[in-house]
Amino acid sequence: MGGGTDAISVITWDIGTIILLILAGLTRAAILFVVASGLTLVFGVLRVINMAHGSLYMIGAFVAASVIQKVAGSGGYWLALVAAPLAVAMIGAIIELGVLRRIYQAEHVVQLLATYALILIFDDVVKFIWGAEYKSVSVPATFAGALSIGGRPFPVYNLFVTVWAITLAIGLWMLIYRTGLGRLIRAAVDDAETLEALGVNIPLIFSAVFVIGAFLAGLGGVLVAPLGSVGLGMDVTILIEAFVVAVIGGLGSFPGALLGAVIIGLMFSFGITVAPDMAMAFIFLAMVIVLIIRPWGLFGEPER
Amino acid sequence: MTREGSRGLWRSGWLWAALTLVVLVIYPQLVSRYYIVLSTEVVILALLATSYNLIFGYAGLVSFGHAAFFGLGAYGMGLLTKNYGFPMLGGLVAAPLVAAAFAFVIGWFCMRTIRLYFSLLSLAFAQLLYVIVYQWTSFTGGSDGLQGVPRPELLSSHSSYYYFALGATVLCMLVMWFIVNSPFGWSLRAIRENTQRSQFLGINDRFYKIIAFTIAGAFAGVAGGLYSQFQKWADPELLFWTTSANPVLMSILGGMFSFVGPSVGAVVFVALREIIKVRTDYWPLVLGAVLLTLVLTVPDGIVGFLVGKARPLLLGKKAETPGS
Repeated sequence: MGGGTDAISVITWDIGTIILLILAGLTRAAILFVVASGLTLVFGVLRVINMAHGSLYMIGAFVAASVIQKVAGSGGYWLALVAAPLAVAMIGAIIELGVLRRIYQAEHVVQLLATYALILIFDDVVKFIWGAEYKSVSVPATFAGALSIGGRPFPVYNLFVTVWAITLAIGLWMLIYRTGLGRLIRAAVDDAETLEALGVNIPLIFSAVFVIGAFLAGLGGVLVAPLGSVGLGMDVTILIEAFVVAVIGGLGSFPGALLGAVIIGLMFSFGITVAPDMAMAFIFLAMVIVLIIRPWGLFGEPER
Repeated sequence: MTREGSRGLWRSGWLWAALTLVVLVIYPQLVSRYYIVLSTEVVILALLATSYNLIFGYAGLVSFGHAAFFGLGAYGMGLLTKNYGFPMLGGLVAAPLVAAAFAFVIGWFCMRTIRLYFSLLSLAFAQLLYVIVYQWTSFTGGSDGLQGVPRPELLSSHSSYYYFALGATVLCMLVMWFIVNSPFGWSLRAIRENTQRSQFLGINDRFYKIIAFTIAGAFAGVAGGLYSQFQKWADPELLFWTTSANPVLMSILGGMFSFVGPSVGAVVFVALREIIKVRTDYWPLVLGAVLLTLVLTVPDGIVGFLVGKARPLLLGKKAETPGS
């Protein structure tokens, strides 16, 4: 994830620089939000931390890279934007049915280990299919070029990613707070047992939520593909970052993921500019501090 | 189980331990260098896994940051002996103390949270330390790792270092065995079984858990110190969260209900890795598949332990075979 920070070479603290850093931070926040919202949604309903969430993101990026390579022109990108998340959502359905469904009643350590096993498996499967080399994905022609902000260039694509994430956030909010499925999801977060007693097909809700979560991971992968190189290891990087975002915001909390993503995105872009070596350390420090003061995160609820 | 009966089994436990030790001492004379190097790694990882099981199996705490103390021990040993002129044994005592100091502070904070949040906070602390080690190039060597950790002339050969690591591990295991069978160790089990009841008995559960976490960190530090000297190198990867997963895996593979389980897990883990690695590059795939099969087919063992269904059974078992 390059964000947009590489556009800056010499730091002079004027308004243009600050706006640019904020925009760069928001681009990063956008990707983090898309991925972390899936992670937190799945946790909120299923009470499972899906360690393989980063792997799904990586698969999304690799599928996107292949589609964009095969289909010439901007059409490739648009196709990837639809096809890759759908492909990842299907993989998500298989994981839910094949693995998670068996361990919902198990202790956290079992769930963490099972999904950790999936990281190992997917990592090698991706290596087997796509090889170990990095793939570079070019920015779609529609969004090529850069805007000039305070005399410095800012890539149009980064702006597109941010706008996309904002649209998605509104869409997800509508899904969760304005639709029938959303009502069931919120009810399942609150009390899945009672909901089941009322005759709702809980396993189906669980599957749907996990598939949506996987879709979001895949979408994050597509969005990030043109921002940096696509390669092995991006699964673990994003997992840890998304995890920090979700934990700071409060696991299971959708607005929390949004706030966490913005906080971490901005910390990244300003941190890397001010103290490049310690930016990541600051972020973990932020997570540690939040967990010590409010273990359940800014918007979360204490563990039941 | 009668008192006499458990004592008899207690003795046979020591018999098995002695036999195993004899085998471990003799067999390196019979095998090639490759196996000696591999056995050294197994011995060190067994120490790491057993230290982890002090908190995982005995205290019921699922930490996902144990690699931090392993790595701190490794870097502590490397930096103290290489840059500060510590003698080897001095380093091997001081490095675990560094790890223990960190474990005490981290444990103090982590014990404020429970279950999943405990796991998350321990993971967050470990990642914080990993990032610091990774980025602080002038002190730790950064991403290149800490090169040239010295090893004394006396231990320069593979077999001599094997015996040294074995000796250190056996010593640590003995100390840990006495700890888990001391009143302190039984208090930990009591807290794991029923925190509320142990509180009524006057056990300060938070304090006991912090001490257990610190002790586990110290022994992980010994393992780390041995490891960096064995490799003559320390790598930031030693503190990474994927390294934290290994002792969890070994404890589960070998069984977290017995004292030797994690060591058995370490043997199985390394043996499996070596067998797979000569045949295919896809060792993580196989490990993942094994792990997945394990947790999907026998989750009850783990669940039973943590949830408490199998408690009386396991307690009985533990009393029967404490030393084996």
